[in-house]
Parts: sequence; structure tokens; C-alpha cells
Amino acid sequence: MVDPRKVIVCRCEDVTLYDVEKAIDEGLTDIELLKRKLRIGMGPCQGAGCLLVVASILARKKGVRVTDIKIPVSRPPIAPVQLKFFAGSRRGG
Amino acid sequence: MARRTLIIGAGVTGLFTAKQLLEKGFSDILVVDKDYPGSGGSFRCATGIRASFTSREHVKIMLRAIELWPKVSAELGVKYSRDGYLWLLTRESDVEYFSEVVKFQNSLGVPTRVLTPEEAGALVPGLNVSLVKAAVYDPLAGKASCFDSVVNTLRHLLSRGVRVEWGVEARRIRRSRSSFAVETSRGELEAEIVLVAAGCGSRRLLETIGVELPIRNLPKHALVTEAFKPVFKPLVIDWATSSYIVQLFNGNFYIGADIPEEYDVKPAHKLEFLRKATGVWTRLLPWLGEVYVLRYWTGYYDMTPDHHPVLGPVEGFEGLYVAAGFSGHGFMMAPAVAEALAEYISGGKPGLPEFERLRPERFARGELIKEIAVFG
Repeated sequence: MVDPRKVIVCRCEDVTLYDVEKAIDEGLTDIELLKRKLRIGMGPCQGAGCLLVVASILARKKGVRVTDIKIPVSRPPIAPVQLKFFAGSRRGG
Repeated sequence: MARRTLIIGAGVTGLFTAKQLLEKGFSDILVVDKDYPGSGGSFRCATGIRASFTSREHVKIMLRAIELWPKVSAELGVKYSRDGYLWLLTRESDVEYFSEVVKFQNSLGVPTRVLTPEEAGALVPGLNVSLVKAAVYDPLAGKASCFDSVVNTLRHLLSRGVRVEWGVEARRIRRSRSSFAVETSRGELEAEIVLVAAGCGSRRLLETIGVELPIRNLPKHALVTEAFKPVFKPLVIDWATSSYIVQLFNGNFYIGADIPEEYDVKPAHKLEFLRKATGVWTRLLPWLGEVYVLRYWTGYYDMTPDHHPVLGPVEGFEGLYVAAGFSGHGFMMAPAVAEALAEYISGGKPGLPEFERLRPERFARGELIKEIAVFG
């Protein structure tokens, strides 16, 4: 049996399977609340690596299909962009 | 008390009020939200907390909130820190104006003071002080985690038998035998006491029972960068451009900036915001140019004509209360607002007389409050 404390779910914010299951057990049964509690989806990859994994854990714990879990909205930019590129995009900022 | 209490809106205002009512002995509390808890302004806001305002009402209420935030922090494990606010003034006319503002604030016990550009630079490493004529510093101001505030309060309430249900949209309120019937997307709810704390949705909901409130929703924009170790503490405002930056507890820089917007339209992402926010802050903080933007999102300020909230009992509707129209300041004042609402709802009056000036009927009576500064 794999130790859930050693299974990394979100690499950006260093969140483990244990963290996710514990938060769900404490009543955070919504992926939006897991996001604000654990910061999943808020690191540089913006959830590309973790949100579907978290959705599948949540679906298993709740006994629903993974397609029933609504994934948080993706925010722009798609990939991180340095401030200077926007700042220089028109004179006068 | 078994009086059935329904709170519409599971943001900080609704959740903090539920906690206050629970402590006053209310046992039958249901909180509903059309989306998820915190999904409105609570999770989108800049999380700044200050009493440095330009109306007596805001100053007194925020001072009370600042007394209460450490208690919220200790009881619920909400990160809170008095890291200050810093206004950067880049025009001579603003320096004159702010010297009057500081006098007013000092007279009410708010410890704001004028700083030289060099003193401001000492608080914010890498600040381009050549652009700054003077600054105003408020060491009593600070910030709290909006995520902790909602998530920890929610867990606190759920573990004590308060029902919080989300994905339940309140659509219509009408009078009924037990006081009020609220039609929702999941059927009808009966309650003796109803608190509408639904942010930008409050006006439309109250219209259904014949209560007109002059709340308009103004789209707002914000972004966060990648996270760094602590660089500077205060929330920094560039007064001339209505822009601000704050380093959040997690280390991300949060930037807000005003661009021209129309009331009551659905917010859209705009390159204009990214240009302005990044343009202003890479001039003032040149090192920020190398930093990466991670996320950009929008939200609303629910604005009233005098930029102060609509708060308290709704005249002519015994048992109906409203807490909305915070005009960008709902998060910071939430602990004081929750205390005042719990006093109203349990049959009393708020300890602070300034709350009485915020009652909904002030608009019909023409007793508006004057406020000059509106910032996150």
C-alpha cells in the first residue's frame, strides 16, 4: 500500500493525496473549496497537472462520476507571462 | 432560539454573521449560496483592511473591525497581519489634499502620517522614489486571508450544526405565514428571519418583495503573479492611477487597477487592464517587469450612491435584513458588520451608533454619507 503522504497530487504547491483526502473528510466536498484550502490549481501550472487528479479523488470519495465534478474556471493567461510584455504593449501603459 | 433564520449569501458577511448568531443562541440557521461559499467578492478581493477613510462612519466601523480581526484570526486560524497601507502621491495637488485627510483621520484616532519619498522607499524595496512627491502611511491597516476567512468559518459552522448549502439560488422572496417564503432553485424555504447578504445579487432579489435599493455593480479587475518570499509588507496604492499592489501571505503579488467600466454589465477580461496594471507598477517598481503574471480575473464592486453599505433592518418588513452594497469594502469590515447584524437580528441595536446611519431608508430620506476614497 502506498503511503498517501508520499503521493504528490499538486507539484506546484506540494500537496499530497493525504492532504486532499483529509480536507474532503473535514467537509470541504467542493473542488473550489479544496482549491482555497490547499491552493491546488493556483501555482504556475494553473491546475494543468492536478485538477483532474483532485476531481477524480473527490469523485471517488463522494461516490459520483468524475464528470459530475465541475472543474474551476481557467484564468488567463494560459501560461505565465512576464509583466514587462504587457507593460510594453502600448505607449503610456 | 428556534426562530428559523435564513442567510442568503455564503460570503464572509453571511458566514461571519451566522457565527455571531450561533453564539447568541440561534440554533436553526441555514445559509445558502447560488454558487460556492466565497464565490462572489470574498474570494476575489484584495484582502486589505484599514480604517483610513474619509467618512466618520467608515472610520469608526473599520476601527471596530480592526479590533475584531485578531479575535477572528485566533478563533478560526485566519492569517491576519497589521502590515500597513501606503499611498504614493505623485502630484503636488494630492499632497495638499492628503494633508487634510490625515488631519481628519488623526482626529478620529487613525494613526496615518505623511512620509517623504525616501521613507516610502524604505518600506518598499526597489520603489522608484523619483516619481513620488510624498506618501501617506497607515501602520494600523493590514490584510487577512480571504480563503481562511471563508473556508475556516465554513468548517466551524458545519461542525456546530449550522447548515450551509450551496448551488441553491434564491430567486424570489415573499411574505408568508411564518414571515417569509423564499423560492429557490431547489424549492421553497420558509424562514422567520431572512438576511440578504448576496453582494451584487442583492438588489434583484430584494426587488422581488418590493424593496428598491440603489446598488449598481461595477466590474473590477485583478491579477496575481507567481509567489516570492516576503518583499514588502504594506498594501501600496498609486493614488493618481487608482491602482494598488499587495503581496499576499502566500507570496504572490496581487495587483488591481481601475479602467473605464460601465455599471451593471457582465465583466470581461480586457487587455486594457493588463496594460494599465503592469504599466503603472513596472514604472513604480521596475523589478516587477521580470515577474510572471499567473492569473487574471474579474469581479464586482456592489456600489451605492454614497459608497457605503446598505445595512440593517428593512423598514416595513419585520424580520428582513440586508447587508450589501459594500462598494469594495465588505471584506475588511465583515467582523464589525457581523457583530452589528447579530445585534439587530437578536432584537437590539448595534453598539456603534454609526451603523444606524447605514440603514436602507437613508436613500429615500436623502441622508447620504460622503466618502471620497474607494480602494480595495
